[in-house]
Amino acid sequence: MLSKQLVTRSFRQLLMAALSIAMAFPFFWMVSSAVKTNDEIWQFPPTLWPSNPLWHNFKEAWLAAPFAQYVFNSVFVASMIVLLQVLNSSMLAYAITHMKFRLSGFFTTTILIGYMIPATATYLPSYLILNELGLLNSYAGLIFSNCVSVFSIFLIRQAFLQVSHELVEAGQVDGASHFRILWTIIVPITRSSFAVLALITFIEQYNNYFWPMLITNDPKLQLVSAGLRSFFVEGGAYGLKWPLIMAASAMTIAPLLLLFIFTQKTIIHSVNLSAGATKG
Amino acid sequence: MRKSLLNDAKALAFTLPALVPLMLFWFIPLGYVIYLSFMEWDFMNPVKTYVGLNNYIRLFDNPQFYQALRVTLLFCIGSVLPIIIIGFALALLFERKMKGTAIYQTLLFSPWVTPTVAVSIVWSWMYEPKIGLINLILSWLGQDPIRWLEDPSWALVAVLIVTIWKSAGWAMIFYMVAIRNVPPELSQAAELDGAGYWGKLVHVTLPLISPTTFFLIIVQLIQAIQAYDQINVLTQGGPAGSTRTLLYMYYQSAFTSYQIGEASSIAIIIVLGCLILSGLSFIVARKTVHYN
Repeated sequence: MLSKQLVTRSFRQLLMAALSIAMAFPFFWMVSSAVKTNDEIWQFPPTLWPSNPLWHNFKEAWLAAPFAQYVFNSVFVASMIVLLQVLNSSMLAYAITHMKFRLSGFFTTTILIGYMIPATATYLPSYLILNELGLLNSYAGLIFSNCVSVFSIFLIRQAFLQVSHELVEAGQVDGASHFRILWTIIVPITRSSFAVLALITFIEQYNNYFWPMLITNDPKLQLVSAGLRSFFVEGGAYGLKWPLIMAASAMTIAPLLLLFIFTQKTIIHSVNLSAGATKG
Repeated sequence: MRKSLLNDAKALAFTLPALVPLMLFWFIPLGYVIYLSFMEWDFMNPVKTYVGLNNYIRLFDNPQFYQALRVTLLFCIGSVLPIIIIGFALALLFERKMKGTAIYQTLLFSPWVTPTVAVSIVWSWMYEPKIGLINLILSWLGQDPIRWLEDPSWALVAVLIVTIWKSAGWAMIFYMVAIRNVPPELSQAAELDGAGYWGKLVHVTLPLISPTTFFLIIVQLIQAIQAYDQINVLTQGGPAGSTRTLLYMYYQSAFTSYQIGEASSIAIIIVLGCLILSGLSFIVARKTVHYN
């Protein structure tokens, strides 16, 4: 009996290890391909790891295209969007959960409907509107057009619903303004939801490709995904320089994998929250 | 009375920072795209011509539309089902405590955080027909090489594999949380009734986690309808339209052939599709999903 248990347990352990390695193998393959020579990469069968890894391929790829600029753009745009979303989601969520007013039901429904509209379907008209506003090809356009997220509003609304209204009333008795109550009482209590919002939004916006690519054609404004893609098509000549392409891909992926490893708990916690956010 | 008006005004002021961009980039565009779907326009011409339902009529006559519709449906089914099944199976394997769980989770979940464009580029290297990793593995199994991204019967499968790889770990995390929340008394009660592992799974676990399944299906369906990055990097809708979804067709007719009217009518169909799907799943959920 005991030995049967031992067998199933080791089998499970082996299976999990094999599956996890298989799942992460593309990342290993990317790095291994990045440090091969152009001759070695076309060898068949391929080597698992080159005998003489060319680490300077990373430097070469980094310098072959303005990747520093791309990374800066992605980090800057994503951070600004996170700041704005924290601000506007918390204010809207506070209004519909703790400032009893006549239109709060209407707002809640509006947001629910917004949740079901696929954002990509509105890209064409949004592009035209951005054009009218003169915001194409600018940081302002990149940031402003993404500065509100129905998901974020939902997430924060859900957190605020759990905060007792008595806290707000107590603040009002003390003569605090709504703005002050929001930032000094409510936000600190719900900070774990804000951590989730910040991380998820940052990752999403750092990776964002389709929309930023549509509204910018200046290479200086490209985010990492679009920059990497143009390097793949032009600089990498569609597969003639696979090692450099893999090195560039690795450098775009690495910051996110690092961020993920350090913030894993919060990201996994977000799963609980976003599952809750839909029961609304 | 005056006090409540003041309160209303204050509350409205609180909604403005979100409401203004929400209007500008969500609701006005939605109205605008409905309007544009009744027009003929090519971006350049200062005049938009009203053509009534012509854009829709022409779309319903266009074989490309039906092909895209078919690809979209295949994409939805071919990505959502495997993601949910694999995610659930992985979560079941984690049900009992074991060494290394944290590391395994990290590895399985990591694809989800990475940029789709970057990982699609990595996959396009692995799909390389002559020396790519995938064909190498197939050759070990005695399978002839496949021209993954150039063969119309395999391109969609190639795009789907990347999509499933990226999201299965994400679904797994949801299921792990859901399974952990199943009250142990219920499993024990089922055991007393003589239920085995599979009996418990079918009669206790599956019904209790149905809200999670329902949530994952909706979110993944809406993601599948909106999939763009991996298609753009791997196949650009080709070969021969075999990976051109409705969304991709919409993007091409708007930004490469400048047929704003046609593009807008496709957009409306996508929006309606999403609304119908959400509505349907709410009805199904009310009948089958078990909330406690």
